[in-house]
Amino acid sequence: MTGRRAAAALGLGALALAGAVALSCALGAQPLSLRAALGGVEPDRSILLGLRLPRAALGAVVGVALAAAGTALQALLRNPLAEPFVLGVSGGAALGGALVLLAASLAGRVWEPLAAALGGASPVTAGSVAGAAGATVLVFALGRVGGRLLPEAALLVGVIFNAFAAALISVLKVLVPPEQAARLLYWLMGALGYESPGTLAASAAVVGAALAALVLLSSRLNLLALGDEEAASLGVEVGRVRAAVLVAASAATGAAVALAGMVGFVGLIVPHAVRRLLGPDHRLLVPASALLGGAFLVLADAAARVAFLPLGSEPPVGALTALAGGPLFLWLLRREGRRGEVA
Amino acid sequence: MRALTLALALAALAPRARAEEVRRDAPAWLGPPAPASPRRVVSLAPSLTDTVAAMGLADRLVGVTRYDDAPEVAGLPRVGGFLDPSPEIVLGLRPDLVLWLTDGGALPAVRRIADLGVPVRALPVVGVADAIAAARLVGEALGAPEAGRRLGSSLAAAVEGARRRAAGLRRVRVLFVVGREPLVVAGPGSYPDELLRLAGGANVAAGARPWPVFPLERAVALDPELVVDAAVLEPAQGISRLAAIPAVRRGAVRRLPNDDALRPGPRLARALDDLLGALHPEAASR
Repeated sequence: MTGRRAAAALGLGALALAGAVALSCALGAQPLSLRAALGGVEPDRSILLGLRLPRAALGAVVGVALAAAGTALQALLRNPLAEPFVLGVSGGAALGGALVLLAASLAGRVWEPLAAALGGASPVTAGSVAGAAGATVLVFALGRVGGRLLPEAALLVGVIFNAFAAALISVLKVLVPPEQAARLLYWLMGALGYESPGTLAASAAVVGAALAALVLLSSRLNLLALGDEEAASLGVEVGRVRAAVLVAASAATGAAVALAGMVGFVGLIVPHAVRRLLGPDHRLLVPASALLGGAFLVLADAAARVAFLPLGSEPPVGALTALAGGPLFLWLLRREGRRGEVA
Repeated sequence: MRALTLALALAALAPRARAEEVRRDAPAWLGPPAPASPRRVVSLAPSLTDTVAAMGLADRLVGVTRYDDAPEVAGLPRVGGFLDPSPEIVLGLRPDLVLWLTDGGALPAVRRIADLGVPVRALPVVGVADAIAAARLVGEALGAPEAGRRLGSSLAAAVEGARRRAAGLRRVRVLFVVGREPLVVAGPGSYPDELLRLAGGANVAAGARPWPVFPLERAVALDPELVVDAAVLEPAQGISRLAAIPAVRRGAVRRLPNDDALRPGPRLARALDDLLGALHPEAASR
């Protein structure tokens, strides 16, 4: 990796993210004059700075988190299908967050302030991160056959755990009061909403720290991708590095799910596309995927907002990422397969 | 998917929990203080729209939900749904007051609207008493307390009238159906449950929850005398899916003409009349 190439790629990634945020700020239900908004004319100013910009920032944080986590999990499992959503990490995060919401609703029968405190953004985020970490540990522990990590087994464990988590959440929905169930349902659909600046800043800090950790670990991810024995023979402390990557990927996924629910396939599509563009070097792949993941989700959310305007509604962005992600992924897979035959 | 649609439709049209559960986390006002007599009002719930219109103040409304069907607001911009109001569209209408039926789903969006400088009046409206109180509160928020009081009194009188008419009548045992597949009924603590009691009925759906997904076999075993079909968004003949219930087989089904009985608000009077007519046809004509 030459320094100049890396700088150019990351610069372009940052530019793409900035461009996506700018475009998202320009699009919406309400016609808006940029000059009026920046000149302080209401309601244009509030719509631009109070609604569109924070929502784009939210999309960027979630997209960065999911794409970075996806890249790291793919390296760790040495399998391109690994992704927070597919591996059950998102499902674990959703389950953790839902359990905190249930606890809040039960606590409300005993002592009101406790319920208010539990139902806030931070405890739900903590629950989601814990759920994500739990799911990751489960997937990597049960994905071992005869002491060796089998990527296919881990993926299967993830798929099954996802179904199990979804079932548990369905049961939880019956247990909480109806208005809480509606909130849960909306959250799980995978939609970007309007978070307070404090929540946004706190989540951005968690995701930023996780991303920094993954970037620092990225050269060792390159070695891990060769295989555990090879990496160990090259001086990598396989167990410790893997644990650190898992913690960082879980924190990023947990924060993303707490903010936006189950937005799938971002961590699958974006690293794939970036790998095709930039090659398999994780020192470049991790930060570039993160930047483009942010851009991707911001654009997807803008599309969700604008495309369905005539219907007076908007689909959750998670539906759009899955719609775009599924077919694109299959196409990529077919292409990779053909290339393999030729070679 | 049908269950989801139903759940969302229910969420949109109906009160969701006992009053004290909703009141808990809902302050009465959010955002900056409202003007004494707001002129540009956005309503985030059909029942609140009805309340404003019933006071003769529909000309103050500048935006309503996509579920609103009152003729007075047919031409107004739609600001989204009950669970997903669009803060951007609301702000674009430059309202000086937003009326909001407290609801956990819309809370983040509504809080955002308030934070950006729009006064929001939060109204927990779940039961009959809430609907009467809401008339007064909305009147006060709009700077028309007299109109609010008048509407409140007329609703209270309608409730009293129904109670009187139903007083000497035998209690009819009713299953109040709001969805057929899955079977969703009005349970204790729900608005229709209260209306049934006022209209001389007794709800057979005993249980802890206001809107349970009800086991069909339990409905069969409870053997209601009458099934009230309030699934007004679904075709009438669909009730035959519930033919296992003896009342449905004998044709003891009264279909409500509209969703008035699911909207705690000024349609209360008409809903009580319709229910009284369904439960006690002999008394309704008196």
